[in-house]
Amino acid sequence: MKTIPPQCPEPEVGPKYWRSLDQVAETPEFREWAEKEFPAGASEMTDPVTRRNFVKLMSASFLLAGFGLSGCRRPVEKIVPFGRQPENYIHGKPVYYATSMPTKGGAVPLLVRSHDGRPTKAEGNSGHPDSNGSTDVYAQASLLNLYDPDRSMRSWKREGSGASAVTAGAVSDALAGISREAAANGGAGLALLLERSSSPSRARLLAELKKKFPSAGVHVYEPVDPYVHVEGATSAFGKPVAPYFKLSEAKAIASFDADFLGAEENSCVNIRGFAKGRKVDKSTDVMNRLYVVEGAMSVTGTNADHRLRLAPSRIVGALARLGSEVAKLTGSSDVFSTLVSSFPGSNKVGEGTADEWIAKCAADLVANKGQSLVLAGYQQPVVAHVIASAINVALGNVGKTVVYLPAPAAEGSIGGLVTKLNAGGVSSLVILGGNPAYNAPVDLDFAAAAKKAGNVVRLGYYEDETTAIATWHLNQAHFLESWGDARTSDGTLVPVQPLIEPLFNGLTELEVIARVGGFTSVRAYDVVRETFSQQLGSIAQLDADEAWKQFLHDGHLAKSAASPVSVSLASGLALSHTASAAPSKDKLEVVFARDYSLDDGRYNNNGWLQEMPDPVSKVVWENVIAVSATTAKDLGLEITKLTSQRIRNADSLGKALKSNESLVGNDEVTIKVNGREVTGPVWIQPGLADNVVVVALGYGREMTGRVGRKSGFNAYKIRTSSAPYIASGASLTRTGTMLALATTQEHGSMEGRPIIREATLENWKTKADFATNMDLEAHFPGVIDTYEVKTTGRVEHRPKGIYEHPYETYGTNVNGGLGPRADRRQILKSEVHQWGMVIDLNSCVGCSACVVACQSENNVPIVGKDQVLKGREMHWLRIDRYYAGSVEDPQVASQPMMCQHCENAPCESVCPVNATVHDEEGLNVMAYNRCIGTRYCSNNCPYKVRRFNFFDYNKRENDYAEVKTTKRGSTSWVTTDASLYKGVTGVDKNSSAEWEIIKLGKNPNVSVRMRGVMEKCTFCVQRIEEAKINQKVKAGPSSDVRVPEGTFTTACAQACPAEAIEFGNLLDPNSRVAKLRASQRNYEVLGFLENRPRVTYLARIRNPNPKMPDAYELAFTMKEYQEAGKGNPLESHDHGGHDHAGHGSETHGAAGKKGAH
Amino acid sequence: MSDIFPKWTNSLPLKVGIGAALLGTFALGAVGYYFTPKYTRVGYKPTQPVAFSHDIHANQLQIDCRYCHNNVDKSWFSNVPAANTCMNCHSIVLKESPKLELVRQSYTTSKPIEWVQIHKVPDYVYFNHSVHVSRGISCVECHGQINHMDEVYHAKPLSMSFCLDCHRNPEQALRDPKDVYNLDLKVDSEKQLKSGLKLAHDWKVNASQNCSACHR
Repeated sequence: MKTIPPQCPEPEVGPKYWRSLDQVAETPEFREWAEKEFPAGASEMTDPVTRRNFVKLMSASFLLAGFGLSGCRRPVEKIVPFGRQPENYIHGKPVYYATSMPTKGGAVPLLVRSHDGRPTKAEGNSGHPDSNGSTDVYAQASLLNLYDPDRSMRSWKREGSGASAVTAGAVSDALAGISREAAANGGAGLALLLERSSSPSRARLLAELKKKFPSAGVHVYEPVDPYVHVEGATSAFGKPVAPYFKLSEAKAIASFDADFLGAEENSCVNIRGFAKGRKVDKSTDVMNRLYVVEGAMSVTGTNADHRLRLAPSRIVGALARLGSEVAKLTGSSDVFSTLVSSFPGSNKVGEGTADEWIAKCAADLVANKGQSLVLAGYQQPVVAHVIASAINVALGNVGKTVVYLPAPAAEGSIGGLVTKLNAGGVSSLVILGGNPAYNAPVDLDFAAAAKKAGNVVRLGYYEDETTAIATWHLNQAHFLESWGDARTSDGTLVPVQPLIEPLFNGLTELEVIARVGGFTSVRAYDVVRETFSQQLGSIAQLDADEAWKQFLHDGHLAKSAASPVSVSLASGLALSHTASAAPSKDKLEVVFARDYSLDDGRYNNNGWLQEMPDPVSKVVWENVIAVSATTAKDLGLEITKLTSQRIRNADSLGKALKSNESLVGNDEVTIKVNGREVTGPVWIQPGLADNVVVVALGYGREMTGRVGRKSGFNAYKIRTSSAPYIASGASLTRTGTMLALATTQEHGSMEGRPIIREATLENWKTKADFATNMDLEAHFPGVIDTYEVKTTGRVEHRPKGIYEHPYETYGTNVNGGLGPRADRRQILKSEVHQWGMVIDLNSCVGCSACVVACQSENNVPIVGKDQVLKGREMHWLRIDRYYAGSVEDPQVASQPMMCQHCENAPCESVCPVNATVHDEEGLNVMAYNRCIGTRYCSNNCPYKVRRFNFFDYNKRENDYAEVKTTKRGSTSWVTTDASLYKGVTGVDKNSSAEWEIIKLGKNPNVSVRMRGVMEKCTFCVQRIEEAKINQKVKAGPSSDVRVPEGTFTTACAQACPAEAIEFGNLLDPNSRVAKLRASQRNYEVLGFLENRPRVTYLARIRNPNPKMPDAYELAFTMKEYQEAGKGNPLESHDHGGHDHAGHGSETHGAAGKKGAH
Repeated sequence: MSDIFPKWTNSLPLKVGIGAALLGTFALGAVGYYFTPKYTRVGYKPTQPVAFSHDIHANQLQIDCRYCHNNVDKSWFSNVPAANTCMNCHSIVLKESPKLELVRQSYTTSKPIEWVQIHKVPDYVYFNHSVHVSRGISCVECHGQINHMDEVYHAKPLSMSFCLDCHRNPEQALRDPKDVYNLDLKVDSEKQLKSGLKLAHDWKVNASQNCSACHR
């Protein structure tokens, strides 16, 4: 019988899952993106070296190669064993050390892998009681900072106009000098400016320093400060307490501008807790519900069940309104009503429903009394946090979903420091970390004030803007080179343990404070040990040395979590807030946000983070001025005119750019607020509140390394101390220039097929198998030829693929059920391991930690903005973000997408050189040495997950964020003159001195790929092989060769704070992955192609509240699926008796439209 | 035209053809022989900085391989011992020997002895020692009779086909784990095949021939 290949459903007219505005507009540019994986010119040589020159050069080098025959004998290599073998060192065996990455409010506990003494991968410490192994993007990427060739490598002293390097001795003399001076006058002229830290050692040293020098000033500054949570709770309860949220306990969560899954502190622990409440095995399970009120489109907002767009300045009013409603329903006293009245018409979006929205939300929170949670975000003023605390008290959540832990007292502010500096009261200013000259509020003019201090000592990791004002620059050690300690957000004590000697003799913060204080123990190790002994006194009674060893081994001190303090609302709670006028198109509201990639700018020179697509906008290498579609229209950037945003009327980027070259240009606009202005590219962000402009901090650095240079614009230039997060009265004007924005948004689009499958909890209850009841899979058999196969007791009908299945060849009598030939299966398929992965879309929040983890583990190179513009980013794992619904208020879903390891892989059958083949354990493997770079495999991959090395990204210099215009023939082409394009004549990074540093960070178990080679996700084959080898070594002369469940996992699964990715052996019936694959929600992406992917997804479940004014019966994506006439996934498709006569040769789309279902 | 081309040129095309064919065959054979690891690697015997004799230590003195290469069953690499391993004995035996001057220096100064690497697989090959020796593959399979070598040389080609020969038919090499370090063990091939097949079955030996086994 003839096999009729399954055909892809025709794309519907009009997009269903749209991924960008251009797609909505169906622009020719988008069509081109969709049709070609790489845009025009991507595969052409774009450098000035012509082909003729190239041939000349090559023939010359062949000639040279002829002499000497140096290539015939491999070079002599030496083996250099130790003179004396260190104990417990085995060459080739990685060692893991427990440490932690200090953050502003706590720490991320880590297990860091060390290969022969060099840290190569940071992973979460699963032994820690609070984090349980979750990590965030910053922790994953922190490793790259350690090996950054642009980091500060020496300490120096400014002398006249120059600077001279100083020795470690001179540094300690200088610090001792400051100490002596302070001792003489009680510290009157001494001021310290620090970053926020949870380190008990630092707190102890500072306390001792203050005791010794009572007049010394200690100031703390964080540009994005989580301390507002403490301030709010402290004023609500009248004592210094910090809230600690237990999201896993909450069933109804209301977030008011609190991006607790993204930009808030401790987000990885929050994600883990939140995801626990989203993990549902069956439709009757209880699932949490998330309400979000916000102005920006945050990661938390993309995960909301109900989302209300509201200008951030109105959120205090909304919170107060919620408080009033809760007070009404619970019968507690309403202290919020006066506040409510100060916000008339708080919401522009449907004035009527906003109040109802809040009322119904309040009712749901009250219904879940003791299991609900209200959060306010770091951008909100203290009063918002006070209200949130009061509501949580009224809801009886205290002690259940939120507990209050003792908090450190507030230190001096940067404002106070500047006042003191300007008054001339500071002779020695010691700046420890941070970058205040760049990120302090602009009205303070910190750089000018600091110059008034005679002596500015600065401890910094980079030579940056603050270095420019320092008299002494001390180079700082990375946390992986330092001794230290910290407390995680739950109060557990964790060590910061070095894995490597400081590469450049950097100092730690503790050492500098100890020297400034003139204390006896100045080594960081001694300081930390001493603090530990003191901490231990109150907890364990073990032998101190043993306890210390245990502490370092475990990476945390058991039972050291802070005990909650009982709190009650402070009497006479004074709530007052001066509400500013609601924003309008002439008086816009500017919101300053922590960047998902660069934080406040501290990761500016980290290529992994620069190239990590923003979880929401998918923009890389820069920040944008985000506005809503309506606002854009009001300002003359109509959405229908989006095509005109192409670089057409632009000046600098070339009028001559051919219209079919798919570079999308964005208007450059100037934000003016309170007499200050900044210029950057505009970005129309779906889901933003109207008349709100969101700008991310951390870009536009003047003094930074080569990676961060020229990336984005500096939003700090318009940020003042009076309006640190929300500034009103801004205006936006077009400059007339267009800028090219590099975004991965449209790359690899899958053209609106039901890639992500969603349903509401109610839908799931009515139709258990909705996830597999979509697309062509819903219509087997009958649509295309099938054969029967017996799997674990049940008979399945499977469609015949267009390729020969490597494990199963079809019998002759297709419908008679002959199935696979047993002998062939035996040869091709291992009976021990069959690897598979399941990704739970219901838990995935889109945080992107997996993307960076994969990059770190697999030596994935960064390619730079210019290359991303051409669609050449190398990420093996990407997160696709789909919008559904209206442009103004869409629903969002994220989907991690990597090589699906199809059993019946389309890439394999088109490779002319057998470079990509299957192994017996179900992996689609790449043999790089065989690959000749035809890219046929990439063309034939339905998931667009194969990445091609167009250049030697590992070997050649890259201009990273810089994009220039060069003439190419008669047209302009946006490009760089980076070494990348110079081919064999370009600078070989591998021969430079800094390569010695860069290469230390590479994973030695993964090949570094060169130009012309295709690559993609390998399921972390190096980890699989290592686990198998370890198991076989353990088994020795026995048959116990199956790797037990839980021995290892892939880098992405390890990093995932939501535990959304499960990896394991499908043949092990007890494995998590085997169980999840049997879930009702399990489905294959593009399953109708019969590729049989080894990666499957669990459909996403939304949990709307039917009483809400914006309640929805169907998830927007499912609604659109139905409206496209593809059938109703919630109705049964009668397979047996249904007449499928008309289906045989038709595409599914056509069949659907005829109403055959 | 005969004025221009003399008669002997009539057979020239044939001669040239035959000559080219012969040359081609020869070239092909030469490449096949001289350009493969069988020729380029086997027999490679560089001079080592210290004249260490495996024959004396492993054969005459019967020191177990793992006394010096103590991580061979734990790690990817079979470690070359540090100088302190040598000094365990040589601080008593041959204390003053000038041949051991470098070893004593290395021991006191911790400056490594620079041995010349002989056995090496390319960077893109991830070969693991521990899994082979723990599952009944003797040192002798890849290193030859290294216990009889006065100076170590490359005995086997260690080419990809060499690896695959064994991975396709592991029963030819599998032996009882207690004999792995006995490099002199002689078993006749019929017996070996029989016992090898049994061991392969009993231990579920699956010597992978997939790319992912060695390349990643």
